Amino acid sequence: MTVEAAPTTATAPSAVADGVTARIISPRRLMWWKFRKHKLAVASAIFLILAYLATIFAGFVAPYDPATRSRNLYAPPQGIHFFDEIGQFHLQPFVYGWKMTRDLETLSPVYTVNPEEKFPVGLFVRGEPYKLFGVIDADVRLFGVAEGGYFHLAGTDHFGRDMFTRLVYGAQISLSVGIISVLVSLVLGLVIGGISGLYGGWIDNFIQRVIEAIIAIPTIPLWLGLAAAVPRDWPPLYQYFAILVVLSLISWTSTARVARGRFLALREQDFVTAARVYGASRTRIIAKHLVPNLMSYVIVTLTLAIPGIIIGETALSFLGVGLKAPTVSWGVLLQESQKVQIIQFYPWLWIGPAVCVVSVVLAFNFVGDGARDAADPFSR
Amino acid sequence: MSSISVQAEPILSVRDLKKHFGGKKTWSGAVSKTIRAVDGVTFTIYEGETFGLVGESGCGKTTLGRCIARALDPTGGEVVYAPKEGGAVDLASLKPRDLRPYRQDVQMIFQDPISSLNPRMTLLDIIGEPMVVNGLARGEEVKHRVGDLLERVGLRAEYMVRYPHAFSGGQRQRIGIARALALNPRVIVCDEPVSALDVSVQAQILNLLQDLQAEKNLTYLFIAHDLGVVEYLCDRVAVMYVGQVVELAETSDLFARPLHPYTEALMSAVPPANPRAARAPRLLEGDLANAANLPPGCHFHPRCGYCVERCRTEEPELREYSPGRFVRCHRAGELKLDGVAELAEADL
Repeated sequence: MTVEAAPTTATAPSAVADGVTARIISPRRLMWWKFRKHKLAVASAIFLILAYLATIFAGFVAPYDPATRSRNLYAPPQGIHFFDEIGQFHLQPFVYGWKMTRDLETLSPVYTVNPEEKFPVGLFVRGEPYKLFGVIDADVRLFGVAEGGYFHLAGTDHFGRDMFTRLVYGAQISLSVGIISVLVSLVLGLVIGGISGLYGGWIDNFIQRVIEAIIAIPTIPLWLGLAAAVPRDWPPLYQYFAILVVLSLISWTSTARVARGRFLALREQDFVTAARVYGASRTRIIAKHLVPNLMSYVIVTLTLAIPGIIIGETALSFLGVGLKAPTVSWGVLLQESQKVQIIQFYPWLWIGPAVCVVSVVLAFNFVGDGARDAADPFSR
Repeated sequence: MSSISVQAEPILSVRDLKKHFGGKKTWSGAVSKTIRAVDGVTFTIYEGETFGLVGESGCGKTTLGRCIARALDPTGGEVVYAPKEGGAVDLASLKPRDLRPYRQDVQMIFQDPISSLNPRMTLLDIIGEPMVVNGLARGEEVKHRVGDLLERVGLRAEYMVRYPHAFSGGQRQRIGIARALALNPRVIVCDEPVSALDVSVQAQILNLLQDLQAEKNLTYLFIAHDLGVVEYLCDRVAVMYVGQVVELAETSDLFARPLHPYTEALMSAVPPANPRAARAPRLLEGDLANAANLPPGCHFHPRCGYCVERCRTEEPELREYSPGRFVRCHRAGELKLDGVAELAEADL
């Protein structure tokens, strides 16, 4: 759905049909105006757009390769500084290097700031080569430090891998699961809900009872059962699609219900009766009169369904039946942090993915709220 | 209003039309009650006239209108239509494919100006789609015709690029009329076209309908509950009560001297133009009879002030009381019922 550029005027122009020169206000534009009033939703939408852009350009945004190991294991996040230890201002921010010692009792590494080592942080620096979109050779990274230095914005894990990089690559899986399985539910929900609402009778009854049966099964055990049936020896990509299908199999039900309800309501509208009376075919009525009028509601349901799916993937991976290392997803990252040692001493390993999951889920909910208000621009 | 000339040809003959809802076995095995929304209605509409259909909410008048326009499929009976080329077809029993050529001739205008227009379509699409669907015009030709129609109903041709939400209730009703006219119909079923509008706008729309009728020789089936509007516009009127016609007469006769007690009660509900003119109101008690569980005998007897023993047991037939006047009452003629003679002079 394309949205036209927002007019600069803050007040919504009245839709009075007077002068011929007045602008034509389409329902879509009305929705956009209404959505725009929901500031939190707009901010969340911008955040989500940035997050998805980051997953598309993961190689560029992440400073390292997700498998690259540094010598610093379990290094905490490095703070960015503008003032050095004697209080002198540097226009280019820098990070300090770490000095590692070992705790002689636990043998765990203890990092302290090494004031001798300063690595200036730059934008668009040359780093490790990578392939953009898997095909284009590139080596320019969004940010980083010059060769010989190291910069771990979100710390490193037990192999010394950069956590920020792993969060960005994890987002590729976690965020795309939401979108793709929602698209699967959109198709399933529209078709099944549409059949249910348009044909009625025993077909409707049958479909509704099936949906109720699916909803009645507790989600997590069902997911667990289905996910456990995915063969262990499948390559990661196959497992990813298998998990996707498992998640979609449940989320289409709510879409189907919304679609059915809207079909039932719209079917009785006078403009549909008029179309029947002037002889429009059934296909035409569905395509031109029913579907355009229910899409906005379906989109709202879908937006609100995405967070559930993201949490679903995270939960499955966390419980160990979803995706597995070496695949990186937020759930896998959380699963790797399930040790008392990590929870207590290396909190950046679980705070990072947790913050990501929570903020993305919240943002989707805010966007969904805004979209719900905007879905019916004619209601006052 | 002028009464119709004797030589006018019948254009629509409704014979024993029935529309029942429910009565089907549900999946759990229970049988739902049959609602007799329209239960054996018979009347004839002549070309060029305005035929009124009045009754309180739920009496089946909208269902009847929709059955005639085949927005609903009737359960039984006939709607015999006389096409321009001559002959007669029963619209009620035609299969959808055979019905197509006659769809163009019978169109509808709706009550609710909000839900009668698709909010996602421009006026060009709304008014143009009937022409495209029926192959009457395409491309630029559609634009020309839509522009002409918009101007004919009192809107500007430039408005065709706009969406319905930009228009007021009265303007939307004009758009609905333009859409009905797009196919050059001969009969228009007007389902309470003005009851959702302000009184000042009502008059404009009624005048527009009258002008169009004179210009295009349209026949209207005008469904209404506002008797003032009916008296102003209609040549003949049928009064409906729970799915049946209880009285049918020329408008002036019906208003001057109703023959059915229900008609009298409807008339007395019209507020008098002169509030000091004392008139004993004949208020009805109780509710409209339940169409799923009709009382025995005359369906109206539980609410009728003139009810006698015969009314409780024997169902009256619709009979011709005098030429062109039909009534469904055992006591028609014996009773002295009040009309609203003063409505005509004072109200409109």
